[in-house]
Amino acid sequence: MFFHNFKYTLKTLFKSKMLIFWTYAFPLILGTFFYMAFSNIENSEKLEIISIALVETEEENRIYKEVFETLSTEGANRIFTTQYLEEEEAKNKLSKKEISGYIVLEKTPKIVVNQSGINETILKLVVEEIEEMTIISKNVLNIEMFKKMTLEKNRVSENQLDDYAWYYEIYKKVMEVQNEYEANLQDVSNANLSYTMIEFYTLISMTCLYGGILGMVVINQNMPNMSNKGKRISISPLSKGKLIFSSVFASYIVQLIGLSLLFFYTVFVLHVEYGTNLPLIILLALIGSLSGLSLGIFVASILKTNENTKTGIMISVTMFGCFLSGMMGVTMKYIVDKNFPLLNKINPASMITDGFYSLYYYSTQSRFYFNIISLLVFSSILLFFATLSLRRQKYDSI
Amino acid sequence: MTVFKAFLRVLNKNKAIIIMYTAILVFFAGFNMKTNDNTISFTASKADILIVCEDEMLGITKHLVEYLTKNSNVKEIENLEEKRNDALFYRDVNYIVYIPNDFRKQFLNHQNPEIKIKSTKDYQASLASMLLKRYLKIANTYLEFGFSEDELVNLLNETLENEVHIELTSKLDTDSLTRIATYYNFTNYCMLAGSIYIICLILSSFKKENVLKRTMISSMHYQKYNRILLLSNSLFAFIMWFFYVLLSFILYGSSMWSLHGIFFILNSFVFSFFALTLAFFLGNMISDKNALNGIINVIALGTSFLCGAFVPLEWLPKTVLHIAHILPSYYFIKSNELLKTIEVFDFVSLKPIYLNMMILLLFALTFIMVSIIITNKKRKLA
Repeated sequence: MFFHNFKYTLKTLFKSKMLIFWTYAFPLILGTFFYMAFSNIENSEKLEIISIALVETEEENRIYKEVFETLSTEGANRIFTTQYLEEEEAKNKLSKKEISGYIVLEKTPKIVVNQSGINETILKLVVEEIEEMTIISKNVLNIEMFKKMTLEKNRVSENQLDDYAWYYEIYKKVMEVQNEYEANLQDVSNANLSYTMIEFYTLISMTCLYGGILGMVVINQNMPNMSNKGKRISISPLSKGKLIFSSVFASYIVQLIGLSLLFFYTVFVLHVEYGTNLPLIILLALIGSLSGLSLGIFVASILKTNENTKTGIMISVTMFGCFLSGMMGVTMKYIVDKNFPLLNKINPASMITDGFYSLYYYSTQSRFYFNIISLLVFSSILLFFATLSLRRQKYDSI
Repeated sequence: MTVFKAFLRVLNKNKAIIIMYTAILVFFAGFNMKTNDNTISFTASKADILIVCEDEMLGITKHLVEYLTKNSNVKEIENLEEKRNDALFYRDVNYIVYIPNDFRKQFLNHQNPEIKIKSTKDYQASLASMLLKRYLKIANTYLEFGFSEDELVNLLNETLENEVHIELTSKLDTDSLTRIATYYNFTNYCMLAGSIYIICLILSSFKKENVLKRTMISSMHYQKYNRILLLSNSLFAFIMWFFYVLLSFILYGSSMWSLHGIFFILNSFVFSFFALTLAFFLGNMISDKNALNGIINVIALGTSFLCGAFVPLEWLPKTVLHIAHILPSYYFIKSNELLKTIEVFDFVSLKPIYLNMMILLLFALTFIMVSIIITNKKRKLA
């Protein structure tokens, strides 16, 4: 009997086009949209080479030209593409946004930009650094001059200090010290920093929870107050436990097939990364689906209402959960985690998402297991109440 | 009047959907409200950073922390490494600087102490990194020439205080214009989903077998019936559009009272007309209410994702942008994006916007024609 019911539940589920669309096709479609929209975001947030222009005047401004030339040559330290233009032309290009800004090389160079932004700020920083060189040289010169004067007190007259070669020597030394120094920065950040992955994790959460609709449908089929089929099943002399269990098991299998399709698609086509720990990823997928299933069974058995309302409730709970876990904007999950941590601790979508996140981002697994246990507790509570309501049902009239 | 009344009844039944889409829009707009009021003068961008200082707050260490604090937004994060990692992952901070406990001692001893950093490697992080390196370089130069710590701090102040003057050519209030454009871009989703959902539902309830038979034998001429139905649907689309425009005035107030505002409104009007024709077309094609939900989601979400309603156009990959060209939403969103950069309203600058509107109208025309052909055929078959 178990197998008989199992087989026919599978058949009915697979034949329902709507169910298959929402649990199989929709996540794939949404995943494709995510991929198309988000695949370039992180690249476009990287600093790109900034186009600028220099406008020459009668003033000789060698340092600026040299510095921008160095920063515009091919290599790891390249920041700019520099071109020399007449002021009118530069203005024109600026308004068309072909360049981020231009510098008029007057005695005190004038920077002209179109808006306040990151490129403009970096241009400003570089110009400030050039100006700083002059200040540093001046300050160093002062102290060296002082040293020289005290050293050679009587031998050198002040006029001799104007010695150009000596100035140049100092300036060169400052440049040397500057060029030789490399700040000893050690980047210890994690390699897996791609936050758009969260979008795909919420997609998996959504699929896990949407799968609950399958569980809901099969419970409804077994309930006498929901369908004629339920009535017939209820009066048959069969173990209700066995029937319900086989139906639920079938829906779990259907759900897992959909989920594995999504996994294959996201891994091989969309190149989503889930970290390297395959057994734990599968464990999370199994338990995540179980939580969706429990939600479906809970909604189906506790609420005494028609199937459409139950579906509506399932969809709204799932979507709201996914929203809180970052589906409509990754920041949302962080905001909730930071300000209302409890909300995401009871939200199954967030537990699943956070589980994948901890596998991807963290090397330790305590956070992952916390999520697994939370999901198990969540499922057990729902299943407990569902069983209470499902067992020993009696109807005086229907 | 009978048709219109029936229309209103169906509309009333489904008001929850309209409220939901509006709520999503308002929420999204609220999310976007972060302001930094800068219009006339140049404001340097600041990276969001976190400083974890294990050294005593003295001398050069103190000065470094002060310098970074002054030139970036320092975030307050709970003192736990996990919270810091979370903040970095979700881009609450872009750069974390760990100043080691003997930084000051080592630095003053010319030992070039190692500073651990964590970085999101985006442009904000690059900016923060530039600031940190610049500071260390200048401090080191002075140190090499034998200045004492106190002198060092004074000289650093003098050196770093030098700020160059920047001339800003654009007097546009880019910030609020960007927000308005983003709002209108997002209406792509709400208008499409809202009008398709409602109009398809209305049309399908008029197409129920019993209702259809009743109207067919009634004395009302089918052309009049169609006209009223089309008018009521247009009225609905118009009201929805008007409502979203009103909402933009409430949210963005004064910035909407401008030439920019007028063109944003005009552009969205053209788009809502297009949405109406698309909805009318789909309503004539689909009669299964269950299928409707799937189709709406695919169309509204799909165009919104691919055409830049959710993710700004400039962040989309090139191939997606190419695909987007065949979708009407692209022309609506492109116009919004163009509008926010226009400084002088003349024919040359507005030409691409007019062109986009024309394309939208052409799409609308196509959908109307196809719907007419289909309904005609269907009626003959019935």
